[in-house]
Amino acid sequence: MHIEIDEISKAFGTTAALHPVSLSIPSGALVALLGPSGSGKTTLLRILGGLEFPSSGRVLFDGHDATGLSVQERRAGFVFQSYALFRHMTVFENIAYGLRARPRALRPTRAEITRRVTKLLDLIQLPDIGPRYPSQLSGGQRQRVALARALAIEPRMLLLDEPFGALDAKVRKELRSGLREIHDETGLTTVFVTHDQDEAMELADFVVVMSMGRIEQIGKPQDIRARPATAFVREFISG
Amino acid sequence: MSDTPLAPLQFRSAIAEPRAARWALIGIVVLGLGVLLFAPLIAVFAEALTRGWAAALASLGNRDARAAIKLTLTIAAISVPLNAAFGIAAAWFITKFDFRGKAFLITLIDLPFSVSPVVAGLCIVLMFGANSALGGWLVASGYPVVFALPGIVLATVFVTFPFVARELIPVMVEQGRAEEEAALTLGASGARTFLTVTLPNIRWALLYGVLLCNARAMGEFGAVAVVSGKIRGQTASIPITIEMLYNEYLSVAAFSLAALLAMLGLITLLLKTILELRHADQIAATYHH
Amino acid sequence: MGRPLIHRSPMPGLGLSMGITITMLSLVVLLPIGALLWKGASFGLGNIWETVNRPRVWAALYLSFRLSLLAALFNLVFGVVLAWVLARYRFAGRRILDATVDLPFALPTAVAGIALAALYAPNGAFGSLAKELGFTIAYTQWGIFIALIFVGLPFVTRTVQPVVEEIEREVEEVSATLGASRLYTIMRVIMPMLTPAALTGFALALARAVGEYGSVIFIAGNIPLRTEIAPLLIVIQLEEFNYDAASAIGIAMLLISFAMLLAINLIQVWSRRRIGYV
Repeated sequence: MHIEIDEISKAFGTTAALHPVSLSIPSGALVALLGPSGSGKTTLLRILGGLEFPSSGRVLFDGHDATGLSVQERRAGFVFQSYALFRHMTVFENIAYGLRARPRALRPTRAEITRRVTKLLDLIQLPDIGPRYPSQLSGGQRQRVALARALAIEPRMLLLDEPFGALDAKVRKELRSGLREIHDETGLTTVFVTHDQDEAMELADFVVVMSMGRIEQIGKPQDIRARPATAFVREFISG
Repeated sequence: MSDTPLAPLQFRSAIAEPRAARWALIGIVVLGLGVLLFAPLIAVFAEALTRGWAAALASLGNRDARAAIKLTLTIAAISVPLNAAFGIAAAWFITKFDFRGKAFLITLIDLPFSVSPVVAGLCIVLMFGANSALGGWLVASGYPVVFALPGIVLATVFVTFPFVARELIPVMVEQGRAEEEAALTLGASGARTFLTVTLPNIRWALLYGVLLCNARAMGEFGAVAVVSGKIRGQTASIPITIEMLYNEYLSVAAFSLAALLAMLGLITLLLKTILELRHADQIAATYHH
Repeated sequence: MGRPLIHRSPMPGLGLSMGITITMLSLVVLLPIGALLWKGASFGLGNIWETVNRPRVWAALYLSFRLSLLAALFNLVFGVVLAWVLARYRFAGRRILDATVDLPFALPTAVAGIALAALYAPNGAFGSLAKELGFTIAYTQWGIFIALIFVGLPFVTRTVQPVVEEIEREVEEVSATLGASRLYTIMRVIMPMLTPAALTGFALALARAVGEYGSVIFIAGNIPLRTEIAPLLIVIQLEEFNYDAASAIGIAMLLISFAMLLAINLIQVWSRRRIGYV
């Protein structure tokens, strides 16, 4: 799905988190929002997911105005940095949650839910952990379960907030390629937030460098490396 | 913050209840607390003042009321320090040492919370009453426990037993042993370590526990009713006197004494709230009662 | 070699703190409870059963337990709502409400008892209102029910409130992104997280209500077989110097208390195992 961000701004009280920013994300792209903390990247991601609403501007999904859509209506698969797994549910129940939460008329049958959850567990290469509780999983396993849970609702896009932030360096590397594979397999428009420039450069088709609520540069990783548009970008990617 | 369609988009919250539901819940809570808690509180003062201030104050000044006030202050003056001493000792023993059966010990300390005050009184009567071997001997020696001050104090200590210890244990667990260990390596004596290192760290939690303990000690009714014998002017504490006056249809007198205890309760709540606001970090995060 | 009973420690004051703890615990709590159990043992199980197995005693135990259960259930529902409102919503007067929740802990039971009796008596503020509607509250089981709600009110709120404050915002947000309505999120995500704390508070409120005396007797009417609670029956037996009967009923109540204490502990063990936290 094509995402169009049109002059979006966001103020919390008197402090501006986002100055009007515009961005066009082509269907099927894997995009990184890169910047230091306080650059507005997470706010932008949350606006896309319907968790925050902009002070001004519009969000368009495939050309239709989606600004007023509620978080439930957006159908955005959202993965939090903390994963936010439901601790009182098994892995299976976590992944099935979005399907079971649908109104009765749209809810898949029990057998269909089991089939889809099993398929997703295979996709994240953890076929046997369905009956376990989140407290019994490693950090990397939790992250993949959170991803599978987001994919279960057949989202229109995938939004990830610092998806590797809570992991140690070795696991982080492994999971990067995992995300790339899942993206290629599902073809979903994917936006992830990171403060780690290596991660952004290695993984993304496009990188959006942000600072102080503004977009500093948009481009392919190699272009940003070769031709930083501003002093901030030069400083940030060399650091 | 609003979720109605007319509200500006930027003020919408993705995960709040609808505005109408929120106000309905607030309404239920305000109404519920109004009827269940505020109304009885107001009733105490209203009933005390039905014949005016003069009558209310006069009923506090008569001989039995004065004796009751004096007895209640005596009970608190003995049982609260006893419980504070026990609470500090128990918290020290439990948090500074590792031993088998710690969880069981904590359960035993909590036991009085689960025992009816009347049953607590009954236990003390059975142990120290004139019918028991120990009680008979004590009465013969001229130190009666039941129907006298020692029994009342014992009953009060029983029902307030866990208060101070329960406040101190979580705080001392959180603070660990490093500071005391540092003081000891620097050559401080045990007593000095406790007074200069531990006590300053636990003083607010201690005050909090003492506050709750005192409120309960001055107000205890069930256990004291059983062990006191309700001798007017001698073993009738304020709550017992309230009962006697109420049963004699001396409503103003009963409610005047009740208002006195209600004030104590309100002051306790006020101080407790101040402590929670000012020293939240030094009071146990978990809730105790 | 088994584990040592007490590990060696450089901390001072082992003897003193252990001595005070064990001595006071024994003298104040364990020996008196032991005296009750000893009395029961010498009275004999058969005699205890004979004492308890009388209509008046059964009626009192049944009444105490049934009304305590109903009051604790009321407090379970109201306490969860109250905890939610206090933890989540900001409105004028919230702090005062928050402080007032503890009033039943701070107000002596006898004071609460006569205040409730005055309010709900047929000529009281609420009692006269009820009378016009054709109800009698004071001196009926309704009066006992209200008094037991009063004494148990803070327990559930105070156990649940900190848990509500600790729920991560993301958990609720992720539920919404997965398409769940707010009601579904509350029922399937939030309520299960609050359940262990709510059950602990419920058990505490129940234990408190079963043993409650002071706030109930003034409003209860104390009519044998109808509005006579179990603790009052003990007091009546004691006033008649009938120590055997008082002990028998006391032991019955003690067993109920122990059972509830056990239940509280089991709930906590269960929830820790299931969810990894309490």
